[in-house]
Amino acid sequence: MGVEGIGARALRKEDKRFITGKGKYTDDMVLPRMTYAAFVRTPHAHAKVTNIDASAALDMPGVEAVLTGHELVADGIGNLICGWMIHSKDGSPMNMGAWRALESETVRFAGQAVAVVIADTQAQARDAADQVVVDYEELPVVVSTTDALAGGAPQLHPEAPGNLIYDWDIGDEAATNAALSSAAHITRLEIDNNRLVPNPMEPRAALADYDAAEEHYTLYTTSQNPHVARLVLSAFYNVAPEHKLRVIAPDVGGGFGSKIFIYPEEIVALWASKRVGRPVKWVSDRTEAFLTDAHGRDHKTVAELATDANGKITGFRVQTVANLGAYMSLFSSSVPTYLYATLLSGQYDIPAIHANVKAVYTNTTPVDAYRGAGRPEATFVVERIMETAARELGLSPAEFRRRNFIRSFPHQTPVIMCYDAGDYDSSLDAALKAIDYDGFPVRKAEAASRGKLRGMGLSCYIEACGIAPSAAVGSLGAGVGLWESAEVRVNPVGTIEVLTGSHSHGQGHETTFAQLVSERFGVDTNAVAIVHGDTDKVQFGMGTYGSRSGAVGMSAIVKALDKVEAKAKKIAAHLMEASEADIQIEGGELKVAGTDKKLTFTEVALAAYTAHNLPEGMEPGLKEGAFYDPTNFTFPAGTYACEVEVDPDTGKTRIVKFVAADDFGKIINPMIVEGQVHGGLTQGIGQALLENAVYDEAGQLLAASYMDYAMPRADDVPSYELYTTETACPGNPLGMKGCGEAGAIGSPPAVINAITDAIQNNNLAMPATAERVWRASRGVMAQAAE
Amino acid sequence: MDIQGEYRIPASRETVWAALNDPDILRECIPGCDTLEKTDDTHMQAVVTAKVGPVKAKFTGAVTLEDLNPPESYRIVGEGKGGVAGFAKGGAEVRLAEDGAETILTYVANAQVGGKLAQLGSRLIDSTARKMADEFFGAFSRRLGAVDAPLSDDDLDAGVMEEARHIAMEDAPYHLAEAIEDAEEAIERRVHDAEEKVEVAAGRGVLGGPFVWGLIALAVIIAALALAN
Repeated sequence: MGVEGIGARALRKEDKRFITGKGKYTDDMVLPRMTYAAFVRTPHAHAKVTNIDASAALDMPGVEAVLTGHELVADGIGNLICGWMIHSKDGSPMNMGAWRALESETVRFAGQAVAVVIADTQAQARDAADQVVVDYEELPVVVSTTDALAGGAPQLHPEAPGNLIYDWDIGDEAATNAALSSAAHITRLEIDNNRLVPNPMEPRAALADYDAAEEHYTLYTTSQNPHVARLVLSAFYNVAPEHKLRVIAPDVGGGFGSKIFIYPEEIVALWASKRVGRPVKWVSDRTEAFLTDAHGRDHKTVAELATDANGKITGFRVQTVANLGAYMSLFSSSVPTYLYATLLSGQYDIPAIHANVKAVYTNTTPVDAYRGAGRPEATFVVERIMETAARELGLSPAEFRRRNFIRSFPHQTPVIMCYDAGDYDSSLDAALKAIDYDGFPVRKAEAASRGKLRGMGLSCYIEACGIAPSAAVGSLGAGVGLWESAEVRVNPVGTIEVLTGSHSHGQGHETTFAQLVSERFGVDTNAVAIVHGDTDKVQFGMGTYGSRSGAVGMSAIVKALDKVEAKAKKIAAHLMEASEADIQIEGGELKVAGTDKKLTFTEVALAAYTAHNLPEGMEPGLKEGAFYDPTNFTFPAGTYACEVEVDPDTGKTRIVKFVAADDFGKIINPMIVEGQVHGGLTQGIGQALLENAVYDEAGQLLAASYMDYAMPRADDVPSYELYTTETACPGNPLGMKGCGEAGAIGSPPAVINAITDAIQNNNLAMPATAERVWRASRGVMAQAAE
Repeated sequence: MDIQGEYRIPASRETVWAALNDPDILRECIPGCDTLEKTDDTHMQAVVTAKVGPVKAKFTGAVTLEDLNPPESYRIVGEGKGGVAGFAKGGAEVRLAEDGAETILTYVANAQVGGKLAQLGSRLIDSTARKMADEFFGAFSRRLGAVDAPLSDDDLDAGVMEEARHIAMEDAPYHLAEAIEDAEEAIERRVHDAEEKVEVAAGRGVLGGPFVWGLIALAVIIAALALAN
């Protein structure tokens, strides 16, 4: 592979095992005497459990146990928690209802686990689960955000009167109201953000093994953050103290946020493993994934944008109701608040912003962070209303945005965030040029001559990732710090192991992190191993989500590399009898500047371990660790431009061209970044055109399989055109920003802006299915016919 | 969801009402019905195996008949539990109207399904329900029309038509009018015979008529309704 440092389009080291089927996932793990778990799940969205009869199931072949919430509670297993405290505007803490890993009294969403069957084989466990007879007394159901807050709505939790979890606000309400009342123009928009199912390729899985002699548990699980899983399992669920619990997240096939959280199934697997004295494996089937993986989005928003006579924004008022489902998932409270409303300033200089967010319980699957987590919701509100306001004001959408861009940094927004760096004009310029914005009218006319409707939509997104610093997020209610750790171990022969608290589940860390080491020491990337995902190997870490692995995880590695480099230079200087300041590392060698004296990195490493000749007082070895806590979020930003062609006869939208111009700061591996952007754009286009988690009034998830839930496919998306601009992030040593979520954050409004432009009807909800577009385009077609 | 249907049954209203309350007839006619019992005049229990798309399950159903107005109308409400496959529950208004010697049955049903039925089969429920309803009423009509009679409706029509055609061909054009008259007469005669047979069958003391509706409603409605979206 050779030396492939920062900026190289290095092929992914991990792909050899992935594309040859040699990856090792949780379901690949097989332990002696292993049993399988199958959960008994309620078909009702809201009901009292009146009786659980397991007698027939216990008589089935191979059945080891049938366990319910009664045993779980008796054994002292704690309730699931939400780890980010939000206070309502009246100062009261959020109203969190109790959530048991197995619920044997009142179930609150269809699919919630009531009992679990442990048997010798998976088939036996599933067959026996079918024989567990549960009697329910049905309760009235509430599904939508609007209904949840209505008087007389069914109540989910005694802890949350009126189903209200919190009534939170941010910004200056008085100043915003004043701006609106003195505005030359107010643009008002009602915006729904559709509910999504994450659908990682690998469903969740857990394999728990209790060692009675050591009183020690091992959990293999599909986690994006094994250390946080261990912390929560230990501190809140009382499964085992941390030193008696090892959590391993091996190869994980995608997460998109849904594998951040600790779910009931992992808790039950651990607990059941001790109860039955055998390892317990559970693997989600796809229906269970639809029903129990935390969903994403589901907002209902009213937004009002005030502008003056010159098209300058003077105020922005946003009221949102967020549906958190039946229970508060691990980080659910933060998503519609600090990850959402803090981004409502977009790329624009807005003097006054006020947002009110009400979070509600409904009889639906819990909702939590999903690729973008709050920022797609914010971007959709901001960029839809920017486009709408431009149309109302008779300005070109590009010009209206330009008039309001932030151009001096750092910029303090009215909603907490302080943007450190950016150049929004340059990404807008790049996108407009690439999509030939000025030539659009010609293409529109040409399409019209063929009876087709062309539309152009822009989205100038900004997002905040690498949530930090820890003290700041702590003051906002986070239950954990959001730093990262790293350890760099140089072996005696010069190969290097990097232990990281980040977790790779598709991001390509084994390649990019190795490129960083290669850049610093000039060693072959094949001589570098990235170790992650095991609490017994890596001391602690916060995992991977919120596009943080580069900006935070790699920064921790940089700090550890700094320490290794300093020590290696000391050793080299000592061995070559030179001044430490004159030692330079280049091409895998430590050289004395201005001379031909040099030592290879391997020679220095070996010297560190033989310890025959080290500087006075120096400890042997070459291994350093570091913790890195960033000084700020990083703020990736960019412009997405989408051109669509709508067939008015069928309502089918074809994305003719999609241009992404992103500012991700310093890029380590452009190929991997492009892959991230492709994936993010496709998920965003999926949300805009196809995906919708539909519930019926009784709380049944109707879109619970790939027959009814439309995932984007290759022929739904165009060949993307990607461009990058670069302003370095001043908040971390590499100047990196995050790239993992931007595509999903910025693309939905670009698509909807383009379609609404094409059909000349701004009233179009996501997903913009052919039927919806066809119906919405009737008006313009009728006009054209006249 | 709401499901509506209308069926013409070649039997008198009283006959149809009675048959709808005959557990034996219902068991025979409800697609996938394993057992069906009448626990009292207004309650029935049944086990029906139904397949909706990828979900196949044995549903244990309980049906209650309400607002009985024999032989014109009643309401059936029921619930079927299918274990991990989920559940279906719903109700239907069933009406019987006389149309000459035949009966027109109409139902308006609403049903709700849950669990796997909803998650995997919701979009198939309407069509499955209709299919089950068609199967039920087809079997039901045949059952009523076939009592003590070797000819089915189809046989009857075909025979009459063949006879009419034969006569017409032989005597045409001179005796055409006569032939048509004969044919019409023949048809009427056949229909009258069939009616008599149906009445005989109905007279065999089937229990309360609504039960069949209940079961139908159970099978059709629960299965169909359950399936309906």
